[in-house]
Amino acid sequence: MSYSDKVIDHYNNPRNVGSMDKSSNDVGTGLVGAPECGDVMKLQIKVNRETNVIEDAKFKTFGCGSAIASSSLATEWVKGKTVDEALAIKNMDIVKELSLPPVKIHCSVLAEDAIRAAIGDWKKKQGVHTPVAAEAK
Amino acid sequence: MTLARSKCEETEVTTKSPLTEIRSKPLPADTHTCWSCGSMRAAHFCDSCGKVQPPVPVDYFTFFGLPPKLKIDVPALEKSFYELSRKLHPDLNARAGSQEQEWSMEQSSLLNDAYRTLKDPIKRTAYLLHSEGVELEEQSKSATEQARATGEAKKQIVPPDLLEEVFELNMQLEELRMNKKAGEDDPSLAKEISGHKVTLEAKHDALLQELQKYWTDWDSLIERNHGSKAPAEERANITAKMVDVLNRRNYIRNLLRDVNAALES
Ligand code: FES
Repeated sequence: MSYSDKVIDHYNNPRNVGSMDKSSNDVGTGLVGAPECGDVMKLQIKVNRETNVIEDAKFKTFGCGSAIASSSLATEWVKGKTVDEALAIKNMDIVKELSLPPVKIHCSVLAEDAIRAAIGDWKKKQGVHTPVAAEAK
Repeated sequence: MTLARSKCEETEVTTKSPLTEIRSKPLPADTHTCWSCGSMRAAHFCDSCGKVQPPVPVDYFTFFGLPPKLKIDVPALEKSFYELSRKLHPDLNARAGSQEQEWSMEQSSLLNDAYRTLKDPIKRTAYLLHSEGVELEEQSKSATEQARATGEAKKQIVPPDLLEEVFELNMQLEELRMNKKAGEDDPSLAKEISGHKVTLEAKHDALLQELQKYWTDWDSLIERNHGSKAPAEERANITAKMVDVLNRRNYIRNLLRDVNAALES
C-alpha cells in the first residue's frame, strides 16, 4: 500500500511528539486504542483556563504510519482552537486531508477518539459541569 | 500446495470419504445431481463419475461438510483438504480446457480459502463472528459515532489498564531500540523486557484458553438446537465474549511481535 505525500511528511517529521505533565490541572490526556489492529495513541492538550483555548498539544503513537500522521495532524489542528471547536473535528476530515484509503479509516478514528478522550479528561478535571459555552470569548 | 503424489491415484473414485461421514448440512436441492451422469453428487465432485461440480455458494464450514462449530478436528480437516485438493485439481488432463476445469479452479481456490481460514483458531473465530454479522473492523467506528452523538468520551473497547500497559511497554521498547542504535547496551532494560515477554506469552495463552471456553459454549448452543438457528440473543451473548477476547488479543499479539523484534535486533 502506498501512503500519500502528506502522510509521509507527517510520518517523517511528526509535529508535536512528546508528553506533558499528566497531573497538571490544565492538561487533558487521552489514551486510546484501535481494537482492529492493537495500536495505541496518546494525545495531550493544554488548555487556557480563561479562554478554553487549546494552547499546546502533544502526542505519542505506537501504530502504523497513518495513525502517526493522523495524530500529528490532529495536534496541529487542535492548537489554537477552543475545546468545543476541537470537538467538532471528525475523523473524515483527517481522512480527506491525508487521503487515507478505506482500510486506514480506523487509524483516523483513533485520532478523533484521542482528541475526544483528552478533552473529556480535561473537562473532568475542571468539574463535570463547566459551562463551557457560557464562557466569555 | 504440497500434494502427496505417491498416494494419488486418480482413478480411485469412491473410497469412503471422511467428508461424507461428517457431512451434516444438505446442499440446496437443485444441486443434488451431477451435471454429467445425473446421479446423486457429493458437494464438490460426483460420487459416481468423479466429475467436478460447479461450485455452490456455501460457507466454509459447509464446504467441508462441517457444522458451524468452533472446535474442529484439525487433523481430520487437513486430511479432507488433501483429499479434496487432489480430486478437485484443475490440472487433470481429462479436464483440460473444459468447463469442468474452470469449475475445478473455482472450487480449488474456494477450498484453499476455506482451509486456510478454518485451520487457524483465530481466523476461524473471526470468520464465524463475521457470519454472525459482527463487523470486527467497524466496531471502533460505531463506538466513535455514538460518542459523537452523545458528546460523551468514547467507551474504550478494551480495559484502560490494558491500554496503559501497552503504552508503557511500547515506551520501554522504544528506549531499548534507541539504546541499541546508539550502541549502548542497557542490560537491565533488556532483562526487564525479557521478563515482560514471558508474561505476555502467558497472557496470550490465557486468552486462547478463554476463547476456547467460549467455543465450547458456542458449540453446545449449536448442538442443543440441532441444526435450527439458536435464539439470536443467546448467540449474541457468546459472540460478544469472543469479540472481547479477540480485541484484547490484538494488543498482546502486537506487543509480543514488537518485544521479539526489539530483543532480536
Ligand atoms: S493500522 Fe492500526 S492504527 Fe493504523
